[in-house]
Amino acid sequence: MKIFATLARGSLIAYTALFFAFIYIPLALIAVYSFNANPVNMMTWTGFTTEWYAQVLGFKTKISENALYLESTSQLVEALWNSLIIATSTTAIATVLGTAIAIAVYRFDFFGRRFYRTIMFMPMLMPDIVLGIALLIFFVNSGINLGLKTIIIGQCTFLISYVFIVVSARLAGMDRTLEHASADLGANEWTTFRKVVFPQLLPGVVGGALLAFIISMDDLVITYFIAGVDVTTLPMFIFAMLRRGIKPEINAIAVMMLTFSFVIASLGLYLRSRQK
Amino acid sequence: MTSIAFRRRAQLAVLLGPVSLFLAVFFLGPLAIMIVTSFLAPGLYGGVEWTWYPHNYGRILGFADPMFEDFDPIYIAIFLRSLKIAAMTVLATLLVCYPAAFCISRLSDRWKNFCLFLITLPFFTSLIVRLFIWVLILRPTGLANEVLIGTGIVSRPLDLIYTDGAIILGMVYVFIPFMFMPVYASVEKLDWTLVRASLDLGAGPIRTFLRIILPLTAPGIAGGAVIVFIPALGNFVVPAILGGAKVMMLGNLIEQQFLAARNWPFGSALAMMVMTVMLVLLFIHVVVSGRRGFDPATGH
Amino acid sequence: MRDSIVRLEKAAKAFATPEGQTVTALDAIDLDVSRNEFLTLLGPSGCGKTTLLQAISGFVQLDGGHILIDGEDMTDRPPYRRPVNTVFQNYALFPHMTVGENTGYALEVAGVAKAERTKRVGDALRMVGLEGMEGRKPRQLSGGQQQRVALARAIIARPKLLLLDEPLSALDKNLRQSMQIELKTLQHELGISFIFVTHDQQEALTMSDRVAVLSGGRIQQLDTPRAIYDQPKNSFVATFVGASNLFEGEAGSGQLVTKDGLSISHGRQGATGAATALIRPEQFFIAQSGDSAPGLDVDLEQIVFVGSTFELFGRTVTGRRVIAEIPAMRRSLVGEIEQSRRARLAYDPAAVHLLPAEAA
Repeated sequence: MKIFATLARGSLIAYTALFFAFIYIPLALIAVYSFNANPVNMMTWTGFTTEWYAQVLGFKTKISENALYLESTSQLVEALWNSLIIATSTTAIATVLGTAIAIAVYRFDFFGRRFYRTIMFMPMLMPDIVLGIALLIFFVNSGINLGLKTIIIGQCTFLISYVFIVVSARLAGMDRTLEHASADLGANEWTTFRKVVFPQLLPGVVGGALLAFIISMDDLVITYFIAGVDVTTLPMFIFAMLRRGIKPEINAIAVMMLTFSFVIASLGLYLRSRQK
Repeated sequence: MTSIAFRRRAQLAVLLGPVSLFLAVFFLGPLAIMIVTSFLAPGLYGGVEWTWYPHNYGRILGFADPMFEDFDPIYIAIFLRSLKIAAMTVLATLLVCYPAAFCISRLSDRWKNFCLFLITLPFFTSLIVRLFIWVLILRPTGLANEVLIGTGIVSRPLDLIYTDGAIILGMVYVFIPFMFMPVYASVEKLDWTLVRASLDLGAGPIRTFLRIILPLTAPGIAGGAVIVFIPALGNFVVPAILGGAKVMMLGNLIEQQFLAARNWPFGSALAMMVMTVMLVLLFIHVVVSGRRGFDPATGH
Repeated sequence: MRDSIVRLEKAAKAFATPEGQTVTALDAIDLDVSRNEFLTLLGPSGCGKTTLLQAISGFVQLDGGHILIDGEDMTDRPPYRRPVNTVFQNYALFPHMTVGENTGYALEVAGVAKAERTKRVGDALRMVGLEGMEGRKPRQLSGGQQQRVALARAIIARPKLLLLDEPLSALDKNLRQSMQIELKTLQHELGISFIFVTHDQQEALTMSDRVAVLSGGRIQQLDTPRAIYDQPKNSFVATFVGASNLFEGEAGSGQLVTKDGLSISHGRQGATGAATALIRPEQFFIAQSGDSAPGLDVDLEQIVFVGSTFELFGRTVTGRRVIAEIPAMRRSLVGEIEQSRRARLAYDPAAVHLLPAEAA
């Protein structure tokens, strides 16, 4: 009996270890193989090199003499730049709008409140391909040229949802008696908002903004449909590369992107755990 | 109207107005136009003809426009196949997450939080990169085949990539956090004295699992199933990368209609199928979880 | 040997704390519970009483020793194959099942046919006074009703032994008292043994045939409620069960002298050596002039009226605290000493109990 209990416990722990291995070993593999010198088969180790990184970052390397690679590097930089412009704009818009609606729904009593609360989940739940083509049809029919502008608008539709959810979670957990205390002590509404509500809300707003930024940087499907022919974002660039055939520098790009989002996400989650 | 009430109204209008307008124009508007488009006839060279044309749905469901073509069962087959792959993804994700949720829920708070952090972290990293890794592992010259050949288990590379299995694997990999979080939430809430009570009353471990643990964690399982099924059904990135040209899912078909075949009404009709499944699932979920909380005596 | 339903032989269990120490929950316990007996395990939290209960129900695996139920060795049997059922502290009713399904669960898993089950569920619910409540969900019931469902659920399969893990602790005082009486009645009707865990000494004395006082993983004393109260074996039992005044000292024939020079009379002739005298508060009475009974002179610090009695808190000249309980009907006497703030607390030497001295 005791042996069985120990065995059951042991196998559960072993299973969980496997679970994490399944999640993280692929990520570790790509990090290791991004330093593999073999230009043909990336999974056959032939030696250590940092050339792929140098290549991606635009330094001159032996391989970069090849014109094809040079071209892709400049495209990569442009795609990255586009992604950053888009992510910054969408984050700003979605954070303001998402926070506004969260405050409206959680601090005001009005007809249709429940409706708003439900409808705000829809853009997030909507399969991205449906939203992507709906936006495409809409933009083309209304004569708006596809480009950065349409990507920013399109991404905002669902990013508002994410910000709304993060900020409302914060609002729902806030102690309203503090606001009453502030009003009781003679502060007007605006002062109460500035001095009491907003400082408490801020971690939620920052969290929502970080989430919006990361998701915007990573969005492929919706952007893919409404980007038009001239604009390419980072995920689209990699997607196109993958569809054409795999070249070793994708490894390096992938690792850099992973590192970037790991750092941002860890920072966000760390901040969230700190405020408790 | 008192001035305070008026001020509240004005504040509310400022908070609510811009968002409502934005979402009405750029979310509901596009969806409405898509619904309309799905009932229009495709133009000869792309474009749309403004005539009532239910045959887009006919092509999918089997009442094709007899003027042009015979019913081609390929579309309903793709639809069913997508449903099957999405369902298998849900099942596989659940099988992966459920035991892990149990184990993690029994850890100390410190370890618990650390494990939850590790599980959410990949969600914030590039989806495309995470899928790309599996291309490297699964392709004929990839790591999996190298290991299999190197250890002598197989003599020549297996077809691992560009299969249903590869798609399901890829989806499981990216959807783990979606399933894990709701399942974990319900496992964490599970009252273990109920399990003890069941064992005490003579039910063995298997019966206790089926009769007590499973029903009590069912809300989490249902929630996870819905939020994995919906994005899995219309997914086109995973089949595009890991399914290659061989495995077609609804998502690829829709993409093809928009970016290659340029038959927007048909593509819209296909997207409507995805959306309908989503709405039906959400409706069932709301009704069932609503009924579970329904109390005949108090009426709540 | 008595006809025993449960028998523990050298049952031992130790737990590792997160800090890396080991705590002995059961220290080689021997215990016999007779058929049809109401036994209470009484002790402070952490004394091992819950571990002992769980060892019997099968949720705790012993490190050593044996458990026999009705003569059969159960040491390695899982909980679901032991003829024992438990009423849990917070009832542990299955929230997704109705009262009827909860009650019939043990029969369902045992494969009893539906018709038979329905009948027995009805009987069990009638027994606990919840007739016709089969269709309700547990959360629609009050705490007392939930308690009864838990009880019905645990007795329906006619276990050889019912374990009750502080089942009354969540109820309010009035309900608790009426449930105590009902439990006792139910036990008589069913004719099975109950093992009842509590930290409430009043509850233990009220309901039990025998009480086992536990501390530090050992049974300090196993006896009838009266013996536990009147003749505690050591100062732990004396202080844990009921209020007490203890006087450690050197015993002589009929007399015990404490270190601070107080002299306590007792009825035991021929007692010698170190010992502790126990006088319960209610054994004191207020001596009037001319009373010849032995007594202690105290300065009164506080007099508290608690309804049926007065509680007197006093100090002897040597500074020792003494508690006495005086029936409220003697209130005229209390009025007098309230004025003088002094009293002589007399006692009957025959009522003084002598405890053997303990190694510190």
